[in-house]
Amino acid sequence: MKSRKLYNRISLLREERGVSRKELAERIGVNFQTVGYLERGEYNPSLDLAFRISEVFGLPVEFIFSTKPMKPISEQLFDRAHEKGGI
Amino acid sequence: MSKRISLRSKKIGVVINYLSLLWFVALFYTGEHIIGWSTVLVAAILVSILIIIITFVTVHVNSGLWKLIHSKIEKLDEREIYVTHESLRYSYAIMSIILLLIIFVMALTSMGKDALGPILPAGLIYFAHTLPSSVIVWKEKDLLT
Repeated sequence: MKSRKLYNRISLLREERGVSRKELAERIGVNFQTVGYLERGEYNPSLDLAFRISEVFGLPVEFIFSTKPMKPISEQLFDRAHEKGGI
Repeated sequence: MSKRISLRSKKIGVVINYLSLLWFVALFYTGEHIIGWSTVLVAAILVSILIIIITFVTVHVNSGLWKLIHSKIEKLDEREIYVTHESLRYSYAIMSIILLLIIFVMALTSMGKDALGPILPAGLIYFAHTLPSSVIVWKEKDLLT
């Protein structure tokens, strides 16, 4: 069975928090190149690895990974504010 | 320590490595069974061995692929396990086809007895050991450290 492409925000979160690929790789217990593969969506992580990544960032798995292309966070924030009638 | 080598250079290195191996086996077979040994032939064999060593070190050792393929599974992360598993799967298929072809050719021709010297098996052992990392060179975009 061919697995689906998973989209993720690893690169965004890593850069936002000033964490290098090597540092993240050490914290989740993989080779730093695996982080590159994950960020580019060229490798889908196991459930265990996905949870380890979510634990490092302190965010829910579904915020970091998705089966659909992810909207930019700024756009999501705008949509949320718009829904609340703030903008 | 691993060095950065472009993917294209690695692929060229793999091709040169295996062509040199083939050249080495052919020269050895020619010297042993067809025309006999001469200085030129021995020199050509030494040159092919030198090329095999240089390309082996460049493509397989310096790139870190030899280490990756020969690492214990506990030392690899899940993607590396997947990559090595895939490369070994392809290698198994390629090696099986090549060995069966060799056996088939040996069975059909009279070269079977002569070819079973030490060189052909030695060449095949080398080929079997380097094939998984060669498969990775061909399949992976950015594996090397």
